[in-house]
Amino acid sequence: MDKKIVLVFVCTIFFWSCNNNSPENEYVPINLTVEHPENFPEIQYTLSNNPVTEQGFELGKKLFYDGKLSANNSIPCAFCHEQAFAFTHHGHTLSHGVNGGIGFRNSQPIQNLAYFSEFMWDGAASHLDLQPIIPITSDLEMGETLSSIVDKLKADSYYQEQFPLAFDDGEINSENILKALSQFMLMMVSSNSKYDKYVRKEEGIEFTDTELEGQSIFKDKCASCHATDLFTDQSYRNTGLPINPKLDDKGRFNVFENPDDLYKFKVPSLRNVEKSFPYMHDGRFASLEAVLDFYNDGMVDNGNVDESLLRSDSSFGISLTDEEKGQLIAFLKTLTDDEFLNDTRFAEF
Amino acid sequence: MKLFKFFIAILLCNTIISCSSDDDMGSLDGQFGNLVIKFDNGVEDQDFIFGVNYSKSANESYQLETLKYIISNIELIDADGTTFMYPTDDNVFIVDEADANNAGEIWITLEDIPAADYTKISFGIGIDQERYGLGAEGQGDFLQTAQDEEMLWSWATGFRFIRLDGVYSDNSVTNEALNVHMGSVGTSLDNYREVSLDLPNTVLVREMAEPEVHIKADISLVFDGQTSVTFSEGYSQVHTDETTTPIIADNVMGMFEVHHVHNN
Repeated sequence: MDKKIVLVFVCTIFFWSCNNNSPENEYVPINLTVEHPENFPEIQYTLSNNPVTEQGFELGKKLFYDGKLSANNSIPCAFCHEQAFAFTHHGHTLSHGVNGGIGFRNSQPIQNLAYFSEFMWDGAASHLDLQPIIPITSDLEMGETLSSIVDKLKADSYYQEQFPLAFDDGEINSENILKALSQFMLMMVSSNSKYDKYVRKEEGIEFTDTELEGQSIFKDKCASCHATDLFTDQSYRNTGLPINPKLDDKGRFNVFENPDDLYKFKVPSLRNVEKSFPYMHDGRFASLEAVLDFYNDGMVDNGNVDESLLRSDSSFGISLTDEEKGQLIAFLKTLTDDEFLNDTRFAEF
Repeated sequence: MKLFKFFIAILLCNTIISCSSDDDMGSLDGQFGNLVIKFDNGVEDQDFIFGVNYSKSANESYQLETLKYIISNIELIDADGTTFMYPTDDNVFIVDEADANNAGEIWITLEDIPAADYTKISFGIGIDQERYGLGAEGQGDFLQTAQDEEMLWSWATGFRFIRLDGVYSDNSVTNEALNVHMGSVGTSLDNYREVSLDLPNTVLVREMAEPEVHIKADISLVFDGQTSVTFSEGYSQVHTDETTTPIIADNVMGMFEVHHVHNN
């Protein structure tokens, strides 16, 4: 009998000797679910490659708000992506970065990115994990390198503890940094605006007559591009904006050098559009009124304007009366999601 | 009691063996060895040397200060047609001429290859769409390595598959900038290519041997391969253009040959 006990004991010791996990810093992930509202299209991100966990999300949030991701340790992602403004750079036409650099484009909202397959105004990123590399390495934005960030994080006790909690291999490396940032961003789903509750028939929410008029105009004149409940068909289009010679931003042309792509930019989502001013890829319009005025009578023919914007008199534009503009704006404001804008899960403090 | 001690001893031996990853059972089954792949860049029948002027078609010449490319998905095929794909997460390498030894060779050591008699090798140049589509998954340190090697674009999220920087001259210009940074562009333009090469003699991978496969890459074929291209006609700057980049990709695919194999 004694022998058996000794044998069991010996076996146990030997099995343990093959296992070198220390009990502290243990990887015990608690899974989180990326919200999929019933009125949304399919999720584009492959969640099985990077399952969202509480620990990975917390790590991603810390990274999002950490200036260490920039060359001078003071420009975090959140610098240009503030929650109260749907994670845009409130009021700035163009964002600035390290050493006083000024970027070329208006910072875009961070919301519902799980449902997108391409990112940036010109679609230069085709995977959410890889998108942060662009602002991190841009001399005009964060001016850093992945290796240097890895070195800084390895020297930080918070990250020394958190990476092993968030990832099975526990490594502080570019793979896990980018995965954690994705986990944080994937959870940022804005789907509880007045519009959402109205279409999902929740809480007895009703539209006013003005909002209903606005919705009907929107369906008639805007929804072919601002399609689905993400309010974008995720295509790239040239809307006939006069070219700013100072920037001469050729849009998607810069990605493929394809002349058909000249001055094309991603159709932006309109969720929280009331809060994400200023508008257009270069932030040239400060108000929704200015945007609608442009669509009504400001377009120019730069040689590659989207055909859907051609009017029967062969000018470009979307004809809107002043009354219609007011109704449209009333409808657009139903896309404001205060629950998302104030959600403490995404807040720095 | 004696029997019990003997039993413990056997258990101890088994445990030690089970913790070890390189079982040696005598036959080739379960045997693993290393394989060295040497990349040796040249220009026609010359060794490649930085800063040396090389002539090409159309009375043009060039000299380079950067020469590197990404090799991935190395696969070995044995005499029976059995294939061994090196583990995906580790199966991506940057071959940088600046890392070459005095003989101009860049060595890649593949570890834990199943012992066999291999007759063919295949590999990809660049990053395939499947790997790219994983995002950060399985990339480990490779993203930061690629960035340090300047093989990652910063304005877009893609890899440069081959990077040649230098100058070119022709009858009318001297030392104009030459930058060939060919890669895929996101998921829309796929410039990943694969090559499959017969080995001139069988490579014997064994636990106690470390054979070497010597691959020559003729850089002149980047410009005068399947298609001859002319610097002054749009090929001095190759980045993302959907016409020029696939032509360079096809040319690069043809520049490799296995020169010889050493079985140690």
